[in-house]
Amino acid sequence: MKRIIPLSLCLLLIVGLIGTNVLAAENDPLVLTMFSGDINPDDTGFEDPIAKKITEATGVKLKMEYPVGEYEQKVTLMIASGEYPDLIFHKNAGPFVEAGAFIDLTPYIEEYGENIKDLYGPYLNRLRYSIDDPSIYFLGSFGVGSKTWDVSGVQLQHAVAKELGYPKMETVQDLEEALKAYIEKYPTINGQPTIGLSLLADDWRFLITVTNQAVFATGGPDDGEWYIDPETYEAVLHHTRPEEREYFRWLNHMNDIGLLDPESFIQKYDQYLAKIASGRVLALTDARWQYEQAEQALRQAGMFERTYGSYPIVLNENFRRADLQDPGYSAGWGIGITVDCKDPVAAFKFLDWMASDEAQILNNWGIEGVNYEVIDGKRVIPPEEMNRRLNDPTYRKTTGVGLYVYPFPQRGDGLLDPTGNTYTITTPDYIKDRYSDVEREVLSAYGVEMWMELFPQQEELPIKTWGAAWQIPTPEDPKYQMAWQRIQDIIKRRIPEAILASPEQFDAIYDKMLAEIDDAGLAYVEEKFNELLQNRLKHWGIVE
Amino acid sequence: MRKLYNQRYLILMSLPFVIWVILFKYVPIWGWTMAFQEYKPHRTFFEQHWVGLAHFRTLFQDPMFYEVMRNTLAMSFLSLLCGYTLPIIFALLLNELRDGLFKRFVQTVSYLPHFVSWVIVAGMFSRLLGVGGAVNEVLMSLGIVDKPVLFFAKGEYFWALVTSIDVWKEIGWNSIIFLAAIMAVDEDLYDAAAVDGAGRFRRMWHVTLPGISTVIAIMLIMSIGNLINIGFEKQFLLGNNLVKEYSEVIDLYVLNYGIKIGRYSYGTAIGIFKSVISIILLFTANRVIQRFNVEGRVL
Repeated sequence: MKRIIPLSLCLLLIVGLIGTNVLAAENDPLVLTMFSGDINPDDTGFEDPIAKKITEATGVKLKMEYPVGEYEQKVTLMIASGEYPDLIFHKNAGPFVEAGAFIDLTPYIEEYGENIKDLYGPYLNRLRYSIDDPSIYFLGSFGVGSKTWDVSGVQLQHAVAKELGYPKMETVQDLEEALKAYIEKYPTINGQPTIGLSLLADDWRFLITVTNQAVFATGGPDDGEWYIDPETYEAVLHHTRPEEREYFRWLNHMNDIGLLDPESFIQKYDQYLAKIASGRVLALTDARWQYEQAEQALRQAGMFERTYGSYPIVLNENFRRADLQDPGYSAGWGIGITVDCKDPVAAFKFLDWMASDEAQILNNWGIEGVNYEVIDGKRVIPPEEMNRRLNDPTYRKTTGVGLYVYPFPQRGDGLLDPTGNTYTITTPDYIKDRYSDVEREVLSAYGVEMWMELFPQQEELPIKTWGAAWQIPTPEDPKYQMAWQRIQDIIKRRIPEAILASPEQFDAIYDKMLAEIDDAGLAYVEEKFNELLQNRLKHWGIVE
Repeated sequence: MRKLYNQRYLILMSLPFVIWVILFKYVPIWGWTMAFQEYKPHRTFFEQHWVGLAHFRTLFQDPMFYEVMRNTLAMSFLSLLCGYTLPIIFALLLNELRDGLFKRFVQTVSYLPHFVSWVIVAGMFSRLLGVGGAVNEVLMSLGIVDKPVLFFAKGEYFWALVTSIDVWKEIGWNSIIFLAAIMAVDEDLYDAAAVDGAGRFRRMWHVTLPGISTVIAIMLIMSIGNLINIGFEKQFLLGNNLVKEYSEVIDLYVLNYGIKIGRYSYGTAIGIFKSVISIILLFTANRVIQRFNVEGRVL
């Protein structure tokens, strides 16, 4: 008897252990590790309500990993170690493909990829890697077939436009005069000195607020560091265009007359945001996604006059902005399944589910009855919820809505699902609803309903047949990469120097920069890039 | 052989550490072969393409390499000069404080910044020295300058700034070891010196300093050996595009022109170069100190 008690206890324990294990195995979702090339500041560890719904539907839980510091650095270390997570969201396929990190998805798409075929439609072929290698290594990010109603342009505070009686706001001179007039009237805002135009040059953000703007103001679309002639398809490094020198000369002039924030090239991103949120920066040349956070703080503080309108500012009357030009679908960044993936079929089925209508609606709109309602067959976001969505910086994190749209396969803005509703919540009405009263007042004074109406319309602009050049992967060629890195370093040094120099020194510094770029191997880089561009055009069937 | 047998337990006890050293310090040197190849991660060792000294040639022909070397050496010498002598002086002065509570308070306050991350320190100083920062406000109200000084916009200021901030952050921490050494100096020597009529400074000069000279020498040799390994954290966080010419250091160069663009071999070549320089510096320092003071010889 004495023996039996401990024995049975042991037995019980064993049965219990096995039991829980079996149960656990049934309920535990498959955990897939994923490296995301972009940091998601709202990451919830896949524990938010939307993530739970995704796990419920697919049996998959994602364990995300992000680059600490720079993306390229993390990627090269990952490749050197030869150990990959199950899924990778890359921003440059070249190194991974060359290292043989991705599996070819073509057979999977054939067998399990109904939703993916439907989502990419005619662009599915653009996912093929190159002419020589027609494998599909990844599913492209960004909305497929997107329409654009939202533009960033050049930003000016509503208070300035209102105060000056809605002046013409088309060229850099118009902007300059408005800033000058306003600062004269109001040298301080809330007790702190008023700042005319503030730039941000913290690391890569320099490209967004400083150099990209030179292209935009001279009528070019966003092609990263390149400018591509729409007729000859010849690419040049955009800083070498003479027009752009004049844009930088204008910035130099702005600094000379004290309208440029002297901290423009020193401040870090958080300082920049704090400055904008204080409401004393009158104008920005930025992209909305970059300053949005600060604007949200202004909205929350009720300082709607200090938020920004988007104006089609160009260098002079001879240019027209190409913000609304249709870039087609580029398929340069995306999610691939790696050779180390523990269950490629499950991973692929998960990605395919993410492309389904159900997932698209879940990710964009949220959960029915919680984040939106269906009234008479139309999806509607109740005003209370909408208000939170627009003005509460923690909304994404707490609800999970919008967290898993980018970088997964994504339907573009404006496309309709079978019920006649848009997949994304971005529609002209939605954008208009988002405007504050002050914003509407300013817009109506300019005789429009939306900022985009101030810009040259899509129909007037040529189609960008080459897609977005910044999504063309860089070649795995040490000579190219070394020269490219050097050129970027020179530009990062010399352009701030030229802008802050006294006006008579500007040309000397700019010429020095161009000479240094030439020495660093510009000719080689341009030749290589044009080769890549031609390959893409051939691959896509645009040129013979 | 007999001796070996007698010490068998000691040898057995040290064996794991010897293996550890070989495994983690010597085996990785095998990786140096990468510097002579055009290394690609997915190829095996025998499939690699050998390029000889090509990477070293590129390195020495690159004008930027000389720029980053200049910055590295300038900043490390400055930090050696200040970051090494000031803690000794600080420790000597602190030791002269007789009041225990005040002394402990000063000591604690002075080494606290050591535990603050460089990210936070950089943020603090860029605000403090910014256009609307406290320093500029004081300078302006005193009438020393009429326009705010942009401390972080002038390349010429950068070395001094980094060195001063580094001293502020590390002075207390670095003085701990010297304070400990001072504690070990025999009290009787002070009494004897006092009897001989030596004042406070005389006692510091003739008793305390010679008493801790061994520690000073060891610390010097160790920091000289690391002259070239200054990392890039502070330069990266405090620098910006305007001061790149003065702020880029060798480790940042390795990152940008080696690892970041997937040129593992080039990065390794620079690593070898750095190790060679470190070894030369270490042995030179050891020789020099040996000349002045036999006790300080550590190798």
